[in-house]
Amino acid sequence: MENIIEIKNLTKKFGNFTAVDNMNLVIREGEIFGFLGPNGAGKTTTISMLTTLIKPTAGSAMIAGHDLMHDGADVRGIIGVVPQTFSLFNELTAYENLSYIGKLYGMEEAHIKERADYLLKQMSLYGHKDRISGIFSGGMKQRLSLAASIMSSPKILFMDEPTTGLDPQSRIAIRELTQELNGQGMTIIYTTHDMEEAEKICDRIVIMDKGKIIADGTSDQLKHKLMTGYLLEVKMENPSKEILNDLRHLQFVSKVSVSGNKISIVVSKKDGVFYSISDFFHKKKIMIEEIEYKEPSLEDVFVELTKKDLRD
Amino acid sequence: MTKSRVEREERLFDFKKIGAIIEKNFIVMTRDKIRLLPLLLFPIVMIMVLGFVSGNVPKHIPVALVVYDNSQLSQQFEQKISDSQAFSIKHIVSTEGEAKKLLDFGEVNVIIEIPPNFQDDINKGVQAGITVIVDESDSSVAATSQQTLNGIISSFSSGITVQRLSSYQKSVGGAADSIASYAYDESQLNGYQTISGQLYTANGYISTSKQLSDSYSKALQNSIPHPVPLILPENSTTLYGSSYVNQTSSNVMFVQSPIAGSALAQASAFKRSSSLASSAQGSIDSAIGIAGDNAEVQSVLQQQYDSRVAQPIITIREFTQSGVEDVLTPVVYESKPAYGSGLKAIDFLIPSLIALTLFQGAVMNMGRSVAGEKREGSLTRVFLTPTSTTTIITGTLLFYVIFELVRATFLIAFSIVVFNIKIQGSIPLIALILVIYIIVSTSIGMIISSMVKTEQQFQAMAMLISLPTMFLSGAFFPLEAMPKFMQSIAVFLPITYAGNALRDVMVKALPIGMIWYPLLILLAFLVLCITVVGIMFKRDIE
Repeated sequence: MENIIEIKNLTKKFGNFTAVDNMNLVIREGEIFGFLGPNGAGKTTTISMLTTLIKPTAGSAMIAGHDLMHDGADVRGIIGVVPQTFSLFNELTAYENLSYIGKLYGMEEAHIKERADYLLKQMSLYGHKDRISGIFSGGMKQRLSLAASIMSSPKILFMDEPTTGLDPQSRIAIRELTQELNGQGMTIIYTTHDMEEAEKICDRIVIMDKGKIIADGTSDQLKHKLMTGYLLEVKMENPSKEILNDLRHLQFVSKVSVSGNKISIVVSKKDGVFYSISDFFHKKKIMIEEIEYKEPSLEDVFVELTKKDLRD
Repeated sequence: MTKSRVEREERLFDFKKIGAIIEKNFIVMTRDKIRLLPLLLFPIVMIMVLGFVSGNVPKHIPVALVVYDNSQLSQQFEQKISDSQAFSIKHIVSTEGEAKKLLDFGEVNVIIEIPPNFQDDINKGVQAGITVIVDESDSSVAATSQQTLNGIISSFSSGITVQRLSSYQKSVGGAADSIASYAYDESQLNGYQTISGQLYTANGYISTSKQLSDSYSKALQNSIPHPVPLILPENSTTLYGSSYVNQTSSNVMFVQSPIAGSALAQASAFKRSSSLASSAQGSIDSAIGIAGDNAEVQSVLQQQYDSRVAQPIITIREFTQSGVEDVLTPVVYESKPAYGSGLKAIDFLIPSLIALTLFQGAVMNMGRSVAGEKREGSLTRVFLTPTSTTTIITGTLLFYVIFELVRATFLIAFSIVVFNIKIQGSIPLIALILVIYIIVSTSIGMIISSMVKTEQQFQAMAMLISLPTMFLSGAFFPLEAMPKFMQSIAVFLPITYAGNALRDVMVKALPIGMIWYPLLILLAFLVLCITVVGIMFKRDIE
């Protein structure tokens, strides 16, 4: 696969604050590429730079062969962006919104009609095409927004947290549509808070924190690169500090953390450890509800890397 | 990838896209009916509130009387003012300066000045002017004051004339009679036929003069302002002691009819009786000369002449030597504008009001919608398309320019229908001023909106410019009534120039050559604002 985006030393400063710090990254054509990171990590700033909305302080990027710094108009011509908010006109009907965007892309009237009808059908909005979009539900608005973003059949689609604030069905619909578009050959840059979502749909993921890429790879790669051991999870009522301390002193235990009534224990090997841990609780006569090996999630990786919860 | 493709895709001015932006804004604007209606009605409501002279004629308008002449006649005039229920004399002062202060403080709305030598001038046949200064800021008070005072003064004036004519007629009539009897007696006594002839001739001249004054008096009485009853005909009060004017009550409004043409003709004919008096004088002189060889006859003639004829002849002379207008109207209404220019309140108001409404509308509508699109993100969506910022600016500006022009037309049409405003000057010139001014105003809205992120921020910023514009527009208060430093702020506001230019063309019908100064400044504003828009309105959404 060819590189469709090549980012070199990309930097953005707002005054003294460095939002994106010397980023280097390559995105390949046909990928669903995920940007993960806590709020303020620099994801949206990166997207805004790549979509020509803000000017980088330093560095450069090539988008499908066009220089971001000099050929902004060309870049705009081949990308689509699904912004975080609805960003269309509430007073216009679904069709009028698409038609307006089409005109701004310089599309011909006949082409606009054909494309808008096709997309409205694809997004299951055809029955609502002549209704004022201001009265649409959140999910409908997001599907319309997606349709508007791909009116011009872009090569690359940037989706900035497209499922935030949607109900579960709408999330699933957006995810499925994203995969469908990707299947048709569109490269997709996807930012999200939702680790599960990223794990499900992204071919490749970078994790950003404080303006820097701190990890890069497939979700499996990330999990295994970062988790040097196995994860045991113990569920119990009110784990006390003494228990946690005692656990830390056990052989093979490299890390213990607690969240609510779940204790996560990272152990360096699998053999016999399950038994010794349950024996530990047994001897102390502590009732535990559950004990099991867990496949580490991206969230665990993330917390491990950034030392903070994603939804902060 | 090649340069030519870039240019094809993102032209500086892409007229198809400009059209699409205008169309989009039109749909957005017209679909929101609740927003559209007040936008169209706002100027009308404003003009109604500010400019409409309501059916209620104000009563007891506070007046400051400046009395420079303490005479019986000025007291009579003062009485007449206070008899009218339209005015109530709050202050009597001795200089205009004092009265002006009262006007500035809003203590009084009207200043009436009785000039020095009021009574003497009138008695001498010199026209005396009553100066009236009306605060134009309250148009209904101003209009009532002007109309009513005009009526009071011309009725007062005609009354004096009628009175003077009747005393004139009396004395001249007496002179004619005595010359006639004198001639008869003397000729009988001494047989001087030539003397007798001369005296008869003199008598003829004087009689003619009397006849002329009779018909003048009649014509004048017919041309005294007609009293027109107002809504509340209460008890009638005598305004002036002529039988005709007796019917005039304080609850009537005077409609000053133009002095009837016949009265004017009579007045000129009457004025010629000064030559009649000279001729009479000449005849009497030659009669006395003829009697030269008879000292007794001559001395009797001279004596008779001195005691009975000389004075009436002087009266004729005095009366007829003064100007026609002076004889016709011994007291005149002299309007003096309170604030520098002699226009009616509504004339002041409409151009300023149009300028103000358009400015507010242009800044607010344009700015709020751009700020709203910014907050909603729809502007970002437009930025994401291959559309140049110049195209986006042009499309957005053009729509609002068209919209405001529609509003301006609406407003002017309304003013014509409801306020009887007559557009005196060139319509294309008015349109030119409006177009330049509206582009300036919408650009200011765009500049402000490009400095903010939300409509709330926009509102706050827009206040900074819209408040001074409102108060310095001249629509609420005359600019001249403002303190100096406030007036100097007005120099930086486009409305100052637009208001002046509109007033000059709409009301004074000045041609383009006479309004080049405000027009040039407006053009400078245009260039400045468009440049600033170009600098401020960026894709960069930081």
